[in-house]
Amino acid sequence: MIIHIVEDDPGVGDSLGLLLDQIGHKSIIYPDAESFFESKPPRQEDTVIVDLGLPGVSGMQLIRWLDSMKRPPKVIAITGQSSRAIADLFGTNIPAILLRKPLTEEALVAHL
Amino acid sequence: MREDNSQGSPVPPSVSEARLESVLETAVDGIVVMDDRARIILFNKACETLFGFSAEEVRGQNVKLLMPSDYAQAHDGYVRHYLDTGEKRIIGIGREVRGRHRDGTEFPLELSVGEAATPEGRQFIGILRDLRQRKVVERRLAEVQGQLVSMTRISALDELGAAIAHELNQPLTAIMLYLQAAKRKVSDDHPDGKLVEIVDKGVREAERASNIIQRMRRFVEKRDPERRQVDIAQLVHECLELVTLGTDCSGIDITNSVADGLPPISVDPVQVQQILINLVRNALEAVRNTPVKRVGMSAAVLGDDMFIRITDSGGGVPAEVVPTLFSAFSSVKKGGLGLGLTISRSIAQNHGGDLAVEPNGGEGGAAFVLRLPLGRPAQNGASADTVPTMKGPTA
Repeated sequence: MIIHIVEDDPGVGDSLGLLLDQIGHKSIIYPDAESFFESKPPRQEDTVIVDLGLPGVSGMQLIRWLDSMKRPPKVIAITGQSSRAIADLFGTNIPAILLRKPLTEEALVAHL
Repeated sequence: MREDNSQGSPVPPSVSEARLESVLETAVDGIVVMDDRARIILFNKACETLFGFSAEEVRGQNVKLLMPSDYAQAHDGYVRHYLDTGEKRIIGIGREVRGRHRDGTEFPLELSVGEAATPEGRQFIGILRDLRQRKVVERRLAEVQGQLVSMTRISALDELGAAIAHELNQPLTAIMLYLQAAKRKVSDDHPDGKLVEIVDKGVREAERASNIIQRMRRFVEKRDPERRQVDIAQLVHECLELVTLGTDCSGIDITNSVADGLPPISVDPVQVQQILINLVRNALEAVRNTPVKRVGMSAAVLGDDMFIRITDSGGGVPAEVVPTLFSAFSSVKKGGLGLGLTISRSIAQNHGGDLAVEPNGGEGGAAFVLRLPLGRPAQNGASADTVPTMKGPTA
């Protein structure tokens, strides 16, 4: 299984990759949705961690695309937004797994 | 001189008495003529309206009648001073004075005084313009500018809080993840209890910092957008009015092509106005020192969204600035924190819209595009009109 990390903040992306590496997962980091699309599509057993606040193609658009795949991978959305802002932005259309930043290992591992 | 006049009239034609009368009576400004002892000779219709006296009542009386007592006391001295010394203090200059109505109310006047030598001696002609209307306009201007200033201050505070919270959250997330990775590595490679404990403490401190940020963010974001159905043409018009009142726009060609009759949008008008004011100000600032000074605003509906475009001829946004343009504290402007665009975008996103830049999309400059979803008043749930159900002792 590969964990794809789509996160525009280099510090957050790198630290997340390092932690996953320590836990024993292979991860690939993409700075935006566009570069993620340029790579090989994820497989069903993969996990994609998506930051909702991406530049360009938004995190939500990426998640919708992933969900529409025939064999969709597991998606974990992460965001620095407050829960109210999230409610305003997405209404009831909230991603199934949504973790707030700053992330803790426990919260993350629980979904892997 | 008309001596050669073929009709051979010996006296040059002058404005007839009757015609003078009609000029005086139709003049919008008050006209008063007094002799060198300050006695009123002529008092036109506009003066009658202005002061509440009829021409008959005031003829022959001292003009002091028309002045508040402080002026009235000094006026004889002014006239004598001029007649003795010839030193002009008001004649040919004009100034703002106060007049006194028959009922005692005082009001601002612009007074200009001319002088004429007549067979009956020296006469002085005063032309009086009522300044009350202008004063009302000036006061309104001052009020609006004051509102703009305080609005800017409040939003600057909010901006600061929101920007700090958002910008610190990212590196803090990274710090916590790094520390957690380090902790794992330490406990795997060197089962050193002390080191694990130290890293643990580091994680706890980072969590503490993050809690502070969460609290700060809740404080800043406490204000919900108060959504209303808003007409975008009117909103844009008001913004332009506010900005142009508060800024020197001379020489700048501001074109508002936002058409009337666009569908309404459901937004918090104050917050959206903040965005638009900020964008228009930036645009005006961008063209301040360029040869072509053009700022344009337009709006269009595309799908379920309203797109509002602010363009300028200011040379555009340098490519190297574009990636961090919307980040806090990245401004290249002097004297700014660079929070305007950060908060503008976050307001737009809170509304379910966004703010984007076309670095070279304007009239030779940048174009900022504000996207806002169209109003859907029938939507259930998140309506501002929902009756509050909170009752009893609440926090």
